[in-house]
Amino acid sequence: MSEALRALEAQAEIRKLARVLGEPAERLGFLAEVPPGDIQALRERATTVLFDANVAVLRRMAAASRLLPASVLARIAEKVFGPLLCARIAGLVDAHRGVEIASHLPAPFLADVAAELDPRRASAVLAGIPTSTVGAVARELARREDWITVGRFVGHVPAEAVAASIDVLDDAAVLRVAFVLDDKSRLPAVLRLLPATRLDGVVRAAVREGLWAEAFDVLLRLEPPLAGDLAAAVAALPATDRERAAAKARALGLLDELGPARDALLS
Amino acid sequence: MTRPRRTLAEQLGGPLPTGIEALADEHKELLGEALHAARRRQAAALATAAEGSLDYVPFFLRGAVRKAVGL
Repeated sequence: MSEALRALEAQAEIRKLARVLGEPAERLGFLAEVPPGDIQALRERATTVLFDANVAVLRRMAAASRLLPASVLARIAEKVFGPLLCARIAGLVDAHRGVEIASHLPAPFLADVAAELDPRRASAVLAGIPTSTVGAVARELARREDWITVGRFVGHVPAEAVAASIDVLDDAAVLRVAFVLDDKSRLPAVLRLLPATRLDGVVRAAVREGLWAEAFDVLLRLEPPLAGDLAAAVAALPATDRERAAAKARALGLLDELGPARDALLS
Repeated sequence: MTRPRRTLAEQLGGPLPTGIEALADEHKELLGEALHAARRRQAAALATAAEGSLDYVPFFLRGAVRKAVGL
């Protein structure tokens, strides 16, 4: 990985860790030189500590929730628990019950919960949320430009839910989310959900919004035929845009690693 | 005498990732404090929520809910 990409990934990881710890990201700026994988490992362990910290009380609360109607629980969730505690308890309630409660909650609140949730622990509930709700929450997260939360969920929700999210993200947002995906091995599967016409749009968004570092990170992780399809979209750009992008790739030390996209940039 | 606060590694229950271990002591302390503070905030929020929730529980179910939650 080039130094420039590593630095960008470290920044994304710092933001994710800051959210888990409830600290401003600027306070953790000293982590900028730490390998992103080590920051991610720290975040995952800190998340485990926080989720396990009060698990006995949370389990009792989850058990008590069986006594009440879902509409009452939704009101308690929104008015008393708030997003943080809802996120902690989501993985402990029966999945069917969790889905029922979520159906009574507005998308902005669910977006708040999503930002605090550990998707690894709530995958059963997440799998049962209707795709229309997933789309509404993804739209709200996109409005907030909370790419990190969208990126954290991609590895933990069914393909239909990912597709529903991608539908509401514009082309630039797809690149921004792709860059902060927790599980980058999912990247090819995510991009395959895009209609072919949107690959052109993604490449044009890189030009329009100066997202070449994010685009190169994507290109570096793709195999044929997807790598070829994206390279074809690059080749279709005006020559001046390709020259600028090639210069950026060279500056990042990535040009020769880009495979078919390198040839497209230099054509 | 106050008990010394647990280090980041102690809170996490094992050795730190290499890049984190290599940080200056003051930065590891800051991370340890931040995790400790997050735990404290979470515990406080839980205590408040447990009591506050009862206001929304139908009166005839409050006893059962109190018992189930252990209040």
